[in-house]
Amino acid sequence: MGRNYLLGKYSKHSKTLTLLIIMISIFTVISIFLPGKFLTVRNFQSMFCQIPEFGLLAIAVMLAMLTGGIDLSIVATANLAGIVAALILTKFTFPQIGGYEELFTILLAIASALTISLICGFLNGILVAYVGVPAILATLGTMGLFSGIAIIITKGYGIVGFPEKFLFIGSGTILLMPMPMIIFILCALAAVIILNKTIFGFRIYMLGSNPIAARFSGINNENILVKTYIMSGLFSGLASIIMISRVNSIRPGYGSVYLLQAILVSVLGGVDPSGGSGNIFGLVMAIITLQVLQSGFNILSFSPFSKKVIWGLILILVMVINFYRAKSSQKPIKRLKIN
Amino acid sequence: MVEKLEKLLVVKDINKSYVGVQALDKVNLSINRGEIRCLVGENGSGKSTLIKIISGVVKPDEGEIIINGKKFRNLHAIDSISEGIQVIYQDLSLFPNLSIAENISLNQIIEKKKRLINWKEIRDIAERELCNINKKLDLDERVENISIANKQLVAICRALTQDAKLIIMDEPTTAITKSEINRLFSVILGLKKKGISTLFVSHKLSEVLHISEKVTVIRDGKLVGVYNTEELDYDTLSFYMSGKKIVDTVFNYQEKEKQKEPLLEVKNLSKKSNFQNINFKVRSGEIIGITGILGSGRTELALSLFGLNKPDSGEIYIDGKLVKIKSPRDAIELGLSYLPEDRLNQGLFIKQSIGNNIVITILQRLLNRFKMFDNNKKYETAKEWVKDLNVITPSLETVAQALSGGNQQRVVIAKWLATLPKIFILDCPTVGIDIASKSNIHNIIKELANKGIGIIIISDEIPEIIRNCNRIILLREGRIVKKVNTDEMTEDKLLDILARKSN
Amino acid sequence: MLKNNRSSKIRKLLKKNELYLFLVIIAYSLFITSINSSFLSLENMFDLGKSSAGMGIMAIGVFIVLLSGGIDISFTAIAISGQYIAARVLIASGVDNIIFAFLISCLVGVALGAINGLLISYYKIPTLITTLGTASIFHGALLTIVGTKAINSAQLPDCFKIFGAKDLFILTKPNGVNYGLSIFIIMFIVLALLTWLILKYTMLGRGIYAIGGDINSAVRSGFNVAKNQLFIYCYVGFLAGIAGVLHISLIRYSNPTYLVGTELSVIAAVVLGGTRITGGSGTIIGTIMGVAMVTILNNSLILVGLSSYWHNFFVGLIIIISVCITSYQSKRSIGNIIFR
Repeated sequence: MGRNYLLGKYSKHSKTLTLLIIMISIFTVISIFLPGKFLTVRNFQSMFCQIPEFGLLAIAVMLAMLTGGIDLSIVATANLAGIVAALILTKFTFPQIGGYEELFTILLAIASALTISLICGFLNGILVAYVGVPAILATLGTMGLFSGIAIIITKGYGIVGFPEKFLFIGSGTILLMPMPMIIFILCALAAVIILNKTIFGFRIYMLGSNPIAARFSGINNENILVKTYIMSGLFSGLASIIMISRVNSIRPGYGSVYLLQAILVSVLGGVDPSGGSGNIFGLVMAIITLQVLQSGFNILSFSPFSKKVIWGLILILVMVINFYRAKSSQKPIKRLKIN
Repeated sequence: MVEKLEKLLVVKDINKSYVGVQALDKVNLSINRGEIRCLVGENGSGKSTLIKIISGVVKPDEGEIIINGKKFRNLHAIDSISEGIQVIYQDLSLFPNLSIAENISLNQIIEKKKRLINWKEIRDIAERELCNINKKLDLDERVENISIANKQLVAICRALTQDAKLIIMDEPTTAITKSEINRLFSVILGLKKKGISTLFVSHKLSEVLHISEKVTVIRDGKLVGVYNTEELDYDTLSFYMSGKKIVDTVFNYQEKEKQKEPLLEVKNLSKKSNFQNINFKVRSGEIIGITGILGSGRTELALSLFGLNKPDSGEIYIDGKLVKIKSPRDAIELGLSYLPEDRLNQGLFIKQSIGNNIVITILQRLLNRFKMFDNNKKYETAKEWVKDLNVITPSLETVAQALSGGNQQRVVIAKWLATLPKIFILDCPTVGIDIASKSNIHNIIKELANKGIGIIIISDEIPEIIRNCNRIILLREGRIVKKVNTDEMTEDKLLDILARKSN
Repeated sequence: MLKNNRSSKIRKLLKKNELYLFLVIIAYSLFITSINSSFLSLENMFDLGKSSAGMGIMAIGVFIVLLSGGIDISFTAIAISGQYIAARVLIASGVDNIIFAFLISCLVGVALGAINGLLISYYKIPTLITTLGTASIFHGALLTIVGTKAINSAQLPDCFKIFGAKDLFILTKPNGVNYGLSIFIIMFIVLALLTWLILKYTMLGRGIYAIGGDINSAVRSGFNVAKNQLFIYCYVGFLAGIAGVLHISLIRYSNPTYLVGTELSVIAAVVLGGTRITGGSGTIIGTIMGVAMVTILNNSLILVGLSSYWHNFFVGLIIIISVCITSYQSKRSIGNIIFR
């Protein structure tokens, strides 16, 4: 009996191991070459501030990919949600309720952002699950729709100036840990629990693995798909709150570079675009790797354009590596002949 | 000299091994012009490897291949094709979005290395071939819109356009009705008259015996023998294929203490173009066999009972109570399980572990106090079932893809038994499974019946029906044509009824 | 199964999506004209044709990619790269010849398209991910090398401006203003015709349909799938190169940040025309009509007074509605419960 039999277990672990090695080596290399600027508290804090909003978007994409689909509208959703929240924070004044207006406004803004993102996710879910539109096209369409609505509302202009208490979400710290990071860790933990410890999560993986067998096994495919895209939307909404509170502004189109990166990080983190495999742990390692690289590029003053080239190259490179990996492990799986 | 020209294909002493597995061991095969041969063997016997070697897709480690008297040191697919060997795979490899004419003619155009398309030529080629097999079809119709039987004929025409001398068909009769099978056979006989040989690969022993002149049996990579079909019968053939004499005990229905209600009762169930006026009962401990040529509505009926094919009218009663089954989940909760026909795509999650495959239907039972998924419970439950059903596997983490057909089917059965069903419908449960596993699964089914579960077996294989069911329902074109007790029936009588009135 | 030929032909026609799209276009145009009478004027039509020819040519490229079962979102990056590089080469070399410009742009387009083709055919990377990556690489590389500085009208060689103004024939309005049928429209029609010929009368073209229908069967039948895929993406690059030159000739300006971001409209047009994203199904006529519809829609929004802010929204809406209709139709025709 050889490795072939335990194909499932081994390949799962070897992928995570490879990722860990990559993450640590890149971290080491950059630390060695840029010790002064990279290994500083300030730099780490800055990384810790950028990881959360991106990380939540990455989780959103990963959830969709687990079901064998994809969600191209995550940034547009986050954008729209953020803009709605921003409008509430800046344009609306509420009647006196004994000094709590600001808190009320903030809570309303957050609730609205989350509600909008939930609705966006719901629309995606309905299109993919009930109408049967392929996910690429459905989310391409909703991406246009949501970003369009954002542009119509703001007429292209940005919105700035949010209440101080709100900015705490984006720039405050609790015990030296930036607030966004706390939120991200909590959300990532929630995702881990949902995916690994709930029936819903189990069903997501099985559905992504084989939707036909899932249906024949009594799984309500439509139900699971809609819920997954709603979750995707929710994570995008959470990302938007962190986004706008971090930079104290929002404009339509903000964050468009995140889409490519989110997909890159999912693929790097071991998510199979055809569905059924991938985990948060791998995703987080890929996120950290990317952030470390990003940080290094910033220190070296790479222009945003050259970074674009690099992200594209890494995405393609990862897929090519996956190709060779799949090829080499393709020895015919010996069928157990015993009855 | 004359004998050499008679032999279209000769392969001698073929050896082929993969990592640690001897797929073929000194195998010989020779086919004469105009011969109709069947190649039979269980899954993993090496028959598909042999076909791949003959068609040049795979190279043997040792051995000779002689086609049309020419020796080939290194047979390429192109050589095989140009010598007239055409393989029609089970999925037919047609283009659903292209017309019938194109599907028939494109291969020849490619072979001629033409760059431009002459639509008249495409139509002419297609018409000529359809004429050759005496069939009229709308040349412009998209292939995705025609029946599977017609698709098969299109595939045969395509094979003929390249001047085929030997047509190899992989499991051709799996998805077509009896009358269509007969048409297929008459086409093959027509080919025989023209000197074109046919090599069937099939596991449907009854059809193998019906159509072929000679049968080549392969077991575990070795040639067992070549036999004249008229000297064979079902049991002898099974014996050659498996090397084991399986004594299948006939099922004896023991009526449980006076039951008040049948477990399942179907009244006047109808669905347009699927089935009409279906009435039957299943009592605790019974095994009902539903058979009929494909197209008879059997699977459609089963899917209706399982919530995947909403009937237009009629009633379903479980335990005497009228029920509405709108989804598989409803069915499962009512105690009805369905083992699907297509094990690999509908029954299994082949890239997932065996453990995951088994527990997928009973997830609610695996929660711990905090309503969280309990991995230990999953492990324990899966382990129990693996032991109960004798699934041979090194670990629960093994992916389903790595198991043999028989073990895979046992995993799917385990998945359904885990739901503790009252009624279990099994659709073609032993298709493509080795003989010993077949018998083993039949025993499992009989034991389940003895425990009180009501079982329905849908099957094509008459011996399977006769030996495992106490009552038989025959369907034709969606209607029940006969309901009998098994003890009033024999294999031959059953075959007769099925064949009667089918043109 | 003998059917009356004529009635079955009519029945087949009625089933085609393209017919309904055509009727929608006619109906919508009449509706808009009732609000703003200048809409259906010949001058406006010529104008629309000229400004949408570039998009139409890119749409042809997207069309054949979708036919083969793939998707390409890097074509705008290829178009702008081809355009900019061609302009720069012309300026630097002093050659003032539009044919030369086309040559450079198409060369760049084919080269970049070939990269896509190789990645997809050899490494079997999913097409969305491939072109997502290459779009980033191509556009990022262009911007890194040339920055964001535009080439303005003064610097632009004259050949572009002359070409941009070239009309096939000129008509005069009563008030003395001239307008004409631009050569752009002719180019679009010619390319559409060429593509139609390739698809219908060459093995390469049938190969594209075959790959989109069932890629495994295509391999088994002897199609050289890798070669076909390489051709497809090179052809898209070629068309993108042409569209790039048309674009620069139209606006007399070359800003490397332009064009990218408009992929959505092009894809919407193709999808509206009835081409399925799953591959194997679609027509040139449908694509042309899809482009026409999107253009008319855009133009009508402006005429009616809705600003360009509504563009994204409508494009997204078009995609969603068209795919809803297509998916609903295919759900009904294939018995999707019984998975045979």
